[in-house]
Amino acid sequence: MRRIAAADRRAFDELYRRTSPWLLARLRRRCADDDVVADVMQETYLAVWRAAGSFAGSATSGGAVGWLWTIAAHRLVDAFRRRARQNQVPAVPLTETVAPAAEDEVMAGRVGHELEHALLVLPPEARQVLRAMVLDGFSVRETSLLLGVPENTVKSRARRARIALREALS
Amino acid sequence: MTTHLSPAVIARYVDREAELDEVTAWSVEVHLEDCADCRALVAGGTTADSQALLARVAAGMDRDIAEGPAPVRRRRWSPARNRWLVWHLVPWLTMTVAVLGCAVLLQALQPGLPSLVSLLAPVAPLPGVAIAWSRRHDPAWELIAGTPAAGLAMLLRRTAAVLAVVVPALALASTRTGVSLALALLPCLAFTAATIALGAFVGVRNAALGLGITWSLAVVVPTVLTLDSPAVLQPGSSGVWAALTLALAVVAVSRANNFRRLSSHS
Amino acid sequence: MMRTVSAAETAPTTYPWAVHAEGLGVRAGRHLAVDGLDLALGTGVHGLLGPNGAGKTTLMRALATVVKPADGRLTLLGESVDGRADLRRVRRRLGYLPQQFGFYPRFTVREFVEYMAWLKEMPKAAIPSAVQRTIDRVGLTAKAGARMKTLSGGMLRRAGIAQAIVNDPAVLLLDEPTVGLDPEQRLDFRELLRDLGVDSCVLVSTHLVEDVVAACTDVVLINEGRLVHQGTPDDLAAQGGEGDAGDSPAERGYSALLRRHRAEAGR
Repeated sequence: MRRIAAADRRAFDELYRRTSPWLLARLRRRCADDDVVADVMQETYLAVWRAAGSFAGSATSGGAVGWLWTIAAHRLVDAFRRRARQNQVPAVPLTETVAPAAEDEVMAGRVGHELEHALLVLPPEARQVLRAMVLDGFSVRETSLLLGVPENTVKSRARRARIALREALS
Repeated sequence: MTTHLSPAVIARYVDREAELDEVTAWSVEVHLEDCADCRALVAGGTTADSQALLARVAAGMDRDIAEGPAPVRRRRWSPARNRWLVWHLVPWLTMTVAVLGCAVLLQALQPGLPSLVSLLAPVAPLPGVAIAWSRRHDPAWELIAGTPAAGLAMLLRRTAAVLAVVVPALALASTRTGVSLALALLPCLAFTAATIALGAFVGVRNAALGLGITWSLAVVVPTVLTLDSPAVLQPGSSGVWAALTLALAVVAVSRANNFRRLSSHS
Repeated sequence: MMRTVSAAETAPTTYPWAVHAEGLGVRAGRHLAVDGLDLALGTGVHGLLGPNGAGKTTLMRALATVVKPADGRLTLLGESVDGRADLRRVRRRLGYLPQQFGFYPRFTVREFVEYMAWLKEMPKAAIPSAVQRTIDRVGLTAKAGARMKTLSGGMLRRAGIAQAIVNDPAVLLLDEPTVGLDPEQRLDFRELLRDLGVDSCVLVSTHLVEDVVAACTDVVLINEGRLVHQGTPDDLAAQGGEGDAGDSPAERGYSALLRRHRAEAGR
């Protein structure tokens, strides 16, 4: 990061090469519109280039990847907000199946069986809210923008998810 | 991480069309956040249209980087400066130090006078504290007034900046003129605490003015007229001053909520 | 990077209005600039219109919790801010741009916004990315490293807006933000306003009727410290007739309402 702050273009290109496929895959699972995803990625990396000095000072434990996602997430929210104004909100892809097939059971262990049970019980909209708030770190307001539902709806779905999780844990 | 992702799972994660259940997707994402090796696998497994998109983004960035400003070099020291040093205090603090300097000179020229430094000590920090947070002197006052940080903590921080200048100056002046350190510093601290404590009720500026005038009329003027050392500044009184400082500090802290709104305390 | 979601965050919203005032009275010096004002604002961009001396700035300052109300009740985001309230929680979710704001001239734009972000008690780790995001949003990317004293009027205003929105406030108060902006900048600003109004409550005080009509979903007209009219820009236009002064329907509505209000007050 420090090298990027020193306007080292090679270091920046290296960061892009190493992290952009991951970011692309993750963003695509939150937004069905490739143009929006491309814009968000461009803005994210530009922001890193321009403000690298500030980021270098406050390195978080997650490393570069952690706040790359933070920046990208915020830019995604901004992009959705701009389009919400014009009533062109991009679609958010919805996963159909919840439970893994037998051959993927080994991966499920990482997330935890309790979470899997909770996810199984919840309707897809609540799952979306859970992913946005817990996995991606969005706030209630941002989640409501991204999913196109009112804030109170987001809150009630999140509450339902918490209850389901608590039941699954007990 | 002992277990890594299989390339098959990664291929399904990356591909939009492929079937991937929610639970596995979550696991994949959590793992990828920490594991650079698996991210490299993701990089290796990109499809042609993904690569085209990435190339497009890279080209766009090249353009923007060429046009835009270079990365900002961070001035590591500047944030720390902003919060503790307040530039608009500098002229007032300079004035305070200058006055103390004059007092020392005067004392040296006229040894018969009662200690000027100990007379000035209580009121030395008052101008600094009064304007530390004053609407007329702090250019960003209106902006700061509406922030959550505005309150007693901020006032104390700025007061500390004032004391950081005044206390050493007083210490120097008192050693030069042979006044005991306790007698010079304790009244100074007591009056600072008094200004803040009183300021919770009537405003810091009014408190400073009131205390300054009271001290001048009650102690300084009689002392100058009679050339007698004032009773409140006798060597034995340090204990009283210390206790006073403590009591006033407690009062100030207990009224901390009053400082949230600067407008009544400017 | 899974984060926990607190119960407080998912507790249902108990308040219907982001800004709610009942019989609000606020002094400016000796004079009661806001007198018996009732106001209810929700999400969206609200334009605050009124002639000079109507009490707009005083109202903004009261809403920004800079000045304590003299009487009446004022509730922001469900929390009461008159009397002895804990203002910190509310202030963290507020953004305020005063009409004349000062700054420390030696700061760069980035340092200025960072300092304000710090004053607003944003989590420290989040500040650098929020600052960059805000600077990009207001269009000051090219000037991020310039010192505040070198900025032109329009750029300065943008920096002011940046510090107001850096903490992503739920209530945003802008006092005469378009003063000194050229027409193109004003158009950019309206875009930004509409953007901000999607998920927060924005109150823009201005004396330019066309700014209000272009960007606001709701118009609040006050005069002599009292509420005269609240409604959509079309409502405002509908109030005016052929005989009223003004170049546009909205301006005519504005003059008509003021005229009627003054007549009633005179009675």
